[in-house]
Amino acid sequence: MSKPADLDREPARASYLTDGTTVRSWLDTRDHKRVGLMFLVAVLGALFLGGMFAMVLRLSLLTPEGSFVGPTAYNRLFTLHGIVMIFLFLVPAIPSAFGNFMVPLMIGARDVAFPRLNLLGLYLYLIGAVLVLGAMIEGGTDTGWTFYAPYSTSTPSAVVPVLLGIFVVGCSSIVSGINFIVTIHTMRAPGLTWMRLPLFVWSIYGASIIQVIATPVLGLTVLLVAVDHAFHVGLFDPAVGGDPLLMQHLFWFYSHPAVYITILPAMGVVSEVVSGLSRKNSFGYKPIVYSTLGIAFVGFFTWGHHLFVSGQSTFDAGFFGVASMLVGVFTAIKVFTWIGTMYRGAIAFTTPYAYVCGFIFFLVFGGMTGIALATVSLDAHWHDTYFIVAHFHFVMVGAALMAFLAALHYWFPKMFGRAYPEGWGLVSTVLIILGFNATFIPQFLLGNAGMPRRYYSYPAELQALNVASTAGATLLGIGFLIIFVYLVVSLRHGERVPQNPWESRGFEWYTASPPLKENFEHLPTFSHAPHDYQEGHPHGR
Amino acid sequence: MVTTEAVDEAGAPPSAARYLACWIALVLLTGLTFALSTVDLGGWSLALALAIAVAKGSVVALFFMHLWDHVGAVRLVLVTAVLFVVVLSSLVVADVLTRFPLALPPR
Amino acid sequence: MAGDARLAHHFSSLSVQAHAARLGMWLFLGTEVLLFGGLFVGYAMYRTVYRAAFVACSHHLDRALGTVDTLVLITSSFTMALGLHLARGGRARQATAALGATLALGLAFLAVHGHEYAGDIAAGALPGRLYRAGVELPGAGIFYTLYYFMTGLHSLHVVFGLVLLGWLTRRTARGDFGAGWDTPLELGGLYWHLIDLVWIFLYPLLYLI
Repeated sequence: MSKPADLDREPARASYLTDGTTVRSWLDTRDHKRVGLMFLVAVLGALFLGGMFAMVLRLSLLTPEGSFVGPTAYNRLFTLHGIVMIFLFLVPAIPSAFGNFMVPLMIGARDVAFPRLNLLGLYLYLIGAVLVLGAMIEGGTDTGWTFYAPYSTSTPSAVVPVLLGIFVVGCSSIVSGINFIVTIHTMRAPGLTWMRLPLFVWSIYGASIIQVIATPVLGLTVLLVAVDHAFHVGLFDPAVGGDPLLMQHLFWFYSHPAVYITILPAMGVVSEVVSGLSRKNSFGYKPIVYSTLGIAFVGFFTWGHHLFVSGQSTFDAGFFGVASMLVGVFTAIKVFTWIGTMYRGAIAFTTPYAYVCGFIFFLVFGGMTGIALATVSLDAHWHDTYFIVAHFHFVMVGAALMAFLAALHYWFPKMFGRAYPEGWGLVSTVLIILGFNATFIPQFLLGNAGMPRRYYSYPAELQALNVASTAGATLLGIGFLIIFVYLVVSLRHGERVPQNPWESRGFEWYTASPPLKENFEHLPTFSHAPHDYQEGHPHGR
Repeated sequence: MVTTEAVDEAGAPPSAARYLACWIALVLLTGLTFALSTVDLGGWSLALALAIAVAKGSVVALFFMHLWDHVGAVRLVLVTAVLFVVVLSSLVVADVLTRFPLALPPR
Repeated sequence: MAGDARLAHHFSSLSVQAHAARLGMWLFLGTEVLLFGGLFVGYAMYRTVYRAAFVACSHHLDRALGTVDTLVLITSSFTMALGLHLARGGRARQATAALGATLALGLAFLAVHGHEYAGDIAAGALPGRLYRAGVELPGAGIFYTLYYFMTGLHSLHVVFGLVLLGWLTRRTARGDFGAGWDTPLELGGLYWHLIDLVWIFLYPLLYLI
């Protein structure tokens, strides 16, 4: 990117953080960076809450007959844990926090296409969160985050406010998706062709397409369940001729692509960090772009693998099994590309890089267990056991959450103009990776041994593995606590950094750190691809 | 300057007569679908009814909603949305058509 | 681009801004298609399972009223498109009349459909386990659950559309829209046409089996 000379020096004008300091200037902002920052705070709050629920669950599982909380509370807690973690953290986190902040910077735009809609998306998220969490006052619901009918339509627990909250958060997700798609289509600066887009932007684009297509079906599903719960019209009730499987088909049509909404931006972050901190051109820019679109598309054809043992036909099961394996091919292409990029790079092994290494490791193993689960005959044994729990935590926590942490550290200097303490960063990364392994590897073994998920109690001989898992969770929690402390401290006392402390050639690093309110003094033009470190590289232009 | 695809209508805006022609077409197609429903066509009746609905929908989308005039991404959006509804329907219907009979709703 | 107060600071030109608005609106319409799409999926599934009941229940629906509703909506779509066309041509008064006609037709749709609901309810054709009308086949209740949900959700969208149209008609009467700028009217029109589009598929699937 050709940069006007004045972008190199310290901005004489106030940054986005200091330009307007009243509460009103934040709550009524049109600035995508402020919206992104507020989202970041919100999703971190959700992560904390979801983590607290998880801790209580793990403590309860220390003894075979359950402890700490009673069985009903246990059911309500795992339901809330799932809802908070998935809808309030995993789905929105990277797009709404980092996507909002970085995408306009990366494409040379002053803001997203619809800034007021962006702010509305934030408020919709908050309202939805309040509805979901507010239902806790009535005890919440005990259906599991998947609220399958007919239990969800007949449970006396407070399922309707929770469903309503999910509906509203879904609207926030759709708004975000629409905004990004339009922004990327219409607001790229001169010279920024599609094949020069940063890979993070491509990943947000792919995730946004999924958000727009899949989320409305979830919206309809929660509406149907809520109406059925209220009026008992029996669309999913066998006693009236309904089919519970219809609800599952509709639910998973969203909820499987939802994991790709989560993982695609995570993969985008990894692409940025790998190129930026290996200081190498991407080993395969186009393969990653096409794999991103491939995952987004093929991911829509795989939902039935959640219905393998529900009574779905074997014909459909076969189709979904094959499609589920196919989707893994694209992920594999990406993994090889990242490793190819790292090979012989000038690697700066810092905290973001460590998280990326963790990401790749956990994505590969979590993903491979996914391929194993796509085999119907194996899933028949593992379904609804801790094997499934371990699988999705590997990819959602081990991979997606690691990428979130990588983003948080890689872009911390960009967002705040300060450095976090690298030593503490690496310490907590090690704790998190070790803690994660200690938590979830035992769960694979537990699941394979037959321990069902969502059960309050379990056979006594499985206690040792459960205790190990809880110990790991504690270590994980300590790691997060350390991160929280040093990041908050660094906000005020972190060493001030120059504009581009990583010396990355990602486009966002050509703006000030922290950026100006209007992003650029002069709108940029682009003359080559991002992360162009090698003279004459075929994908430099 | 901006690197977006071509925007807006190409050439002169359409005349009101075009909309009137579309309205007439829609009314006629409605009449056709109504008339066909009174005849017993067996398995073809659903396919025909859907075909006519698609034709009517296309008239509305292409001319009333101006997709005929606009180029670029907007045209893809409706097609993509409909495509995924078709995907979801097909696999769900395939499920009930091939399911072990006792796993179907009671009838 | 100096001087145009309607141009937002982050867009390079009014035409890019209008294009972005249009794309955004179409994406929103896409989500509406998928929202209704889920119901069509439920319909497809249950029609496959309960063929006989669906045919029987469809014959009990008031076909004449359904056809009237279809013609009313098609005509309202026509007047809407006309309204936008006239506004673009600078003929604000005629445009307002066309939009007013659209509003009236939309209200007529709701009235006819409400009348239809009243008839169904009186006959005991209620959703799910509440079904008490004549068809003694399994799945009759499911047909009516889908019927009320699909047409009910559709009518709710008609209500939203009417509110939107009311606001747009006022603005058109004030002369806010012309050849240079008509984006809100265009986007509102797109929403109204979508309502028509959904009904075009509901009509044969519910009334004409």
